[in-house]
Amino acid sequence: MINDILLQLEKAALKYKDKTMFSDGQKALSFEQVLDKAKRLGSALTRFTDMRSPVAVMSGRNAYTPAAFLGIVYAGCFYAPMDSTQPEARLKGILGVLEPQLLIADNENIERARSLGFEGDILCIDELFESEIDEDALSARRREMCIDDPLYVIFTSGSTGAPKGVITSRLSLCCYINAYTEVMGIDDSDVLGNQSPLDYIAAIRDIYLPIFTGASTFIIPKQCFVMPAELFKVMNEQKITAVGWSVSVFTIAVKVGAFEGGKPMYLKKVCFSGSVMPCAVLRVWQENLPETKFVNQYGPTECTASCTYYEINERVSDEDTLPIGRAYRNYRVFLMNEDNTPTRQGEMGEICVSGPIVALGYYNAPELTEKSFIQNPLNKAFAERIYKTGDYGVMRADGVLLFKGRKDRQIKHLGHRVELSEIETAALRIENISECCAMYQKEKELIFLFYTGSATVKETATFLRGVLPGFMVPRKLINLDEMPRLANGKTDMQKLKEYFK
Amino acid sequence: MKEQLMEILEELRPDVDFEAEKQLITDGVLDSFDIVSLVGSLNDEFDIEIQVGNLVPDNFNSIEGMMALIEKLQNED
Repeated sequence: MINDILLQLEKAALKYKDKTMFSDGQKALSFEQVLDKAKRLGSALTRFTDMRSPVAVMSGRNAYTPAAFLGIVYAGCFYAPMDSTQPEARLKGILGVLEPQLLIADNENIERARSLGFEGDILCIDELFESEIDEDALSARRREMCIDDPLYVIFTSGSTGAPKGVITSRLSLCCYINAYTEVMGIDDSDVLGNQSPLDYIAAIRDIYLPIFTGASTFIIPKQCFVMPAELFKVMNEQKITAVGWSVSVFTIAVKVGAFEGGKPMYLKKVCFSGSVMPCAVLRVWQENLPETKFVNQYGPTECTASCTYYEINERVSDEDTLPIGRAYRNYRVFLMNEDNTPTRQGEMGEICVSGPIVALGYYNAPELTEKSFIQNPLNKAFAERIYKTGDYGVMRADGVLLFKGRKDRQIKHLGHRVELSEIETAALRIENISECCAMYQKEKELIFLFYTGSATVKETATFLRGVLPGFMVPRKLINLDEMPRLANGKTDMQKLKEYFK
Repeated sequence: MKEQLMEILEELRPDVDFEAEKQLITDGVLDSFDIVSLVGSLNDEFDIEIQVGNLVPDNFNSIEGMMALIEKLQNED
C-alpha cells in the first residue's frame, strides 16, 4: 500500500513530468509544476510555522489550490480549507476553533482574508509559490514526520452552532485512496471530473488520486452544475472518464432532462455518495451509459469520507433501494445495539467503524471527541477506537449492509451534512423570532423553517444568508401564529409536515 | 410578465435582490435546486417548455435574460 504522500508525489512527477495534473479550464499545472510549487510554498512555511500545526487556507476553486495544500504537507503542517464565499460569521467561527498561526490566501481572496480580524500572519499564496526551495529545511521537517501526523481539518455542521472540525491523519487518507483506487479501477489513463468544493471532504479523491495513480483531475466550473447542458459539453471536451460526485448532481441532471441534449460519452467509472440515490434516477443514467460502472458509496467525514461501497451490477428498477454494501479495505464496519451489545444479523443497529481510517477526532474539542470516538465496548482485550456514526443499518445474510436512516436530526442536503438544530440556533438569534423548528422534506430536497414572531420572511431569510453557508439556508420559511403542540408540550412535527403538501 | 416573474422569484428566494443581481448563475446565487424549481414554475406559469438546451447562464443570470427566454419560447409556439 502506498503510505507516503510526498514520496509518491515525487515519484509521480518523475514519471509523468509535463502531463497535466490539475486543470480548471483556465489554468493548468503539470505533475512537475505541482511538485515545484508545493516545495516552494512548503519551504517558505517552515519559517512561519511549527510542525504539526494548522494552516488555514482561503483559495479559489482552481488548479493551484491543491498545490497549496500539498505545500502545507511538505512543511509538516496540516491544512484547513475555508470557502471564502461563506458568511463572515462562519469563517470567523472556523478561525476561532482552529486558532492557526498562519492564514494563507490567494490573490483573489486575500482581501477577504484580511477583513476577518485574524490576528496571526496572513500570507499570499501566489507569492509563496515564488519562494526559493530550501531542501535542507524541507528534509529536516521530512525526517520528523510520522505516518499518523494530521493531514487536514475539514469543517462540517455542528449541532450547537459552532463549526466542527474533523481532523484526519495522512495514514487514513492513504488507506482510503488505495481502497478507492482498487474498487473503481482508477489508473493513469483516467481523467477525473471534480465536482466537490475543494474545502469539502469529497474533494480528497480528486486531489490525491492523481498522486497515487497518475490520473489527471479537471476541476469543473461550478456553474456547470447549475446548467447541466454545459456540464455534459465540458465533460466531453475534457474527455472525463471517472467521477465521484454527490447524488444531487445525478438527480438534477435527470430532472432537467440533460440526456435529451447529449451524454458524457467518455464517462466509464462513476461513484456517488452523500445521500441515498433514488433508483429512478440511477436507472436513467444506466440506460444512457450502459457500459459504465456505477458504485454507491456510504460513509461520514469522520471515517475519511467513506466506510462501505456497493457496485451495482444489475439494471435497477424505480422501486429498488440500493444497499450500501461492504467495507472498503482497511475499514472495519459493524453494527451495535443501544446497550453496547452486538446486533444480530437481520436486526437494526447503529453503524460503527474502526481501523486506521477513523479520524483523529474533532479539532480543539476534546469533550465532543470523547463522546463520539470511544473504545470499542465489544473489545475488552486491547485498545480499539471506534466512531459511532449515528446511522442505522441492517446486515443482510450475505454480509451486505443496508442503510436505515439517522438516529438524530442530522440530514444530508445537496451532499452536505446539515444539523437542523444549527439552523434553529441561528434563527433564534433574530430578535423578532420567539420559537422555531427546522424540518426537511426529503422527497423535494427542501429545508423548511417554521417560526413564530413578528420577523418577516424576507428579514429572516436575509439574516440567515448572512450567517449560514448557502446550502443550509431554508428555502421555505413559514411564519406561524403559534407552534402546533403535542400533549406533552413538544412541537408537533407531524402537524408541521402538512405544510409540505 | 415581469410582475409574474418577480412573484415567482420572490417566492423562490426571498433573500435575493433580483433587480440588482445580474450574475445569478455565474456568481452562484442560484443553486441547482433553485433552477429545477424555477424551470417548473416558469413552464407552468407562462405555458412554455424550457428545454435542456435553454439552460445556459445567459438565460438565467438576470431577470432580463429570463424575460427574453420566456418571450422567445412563447413566440415559437
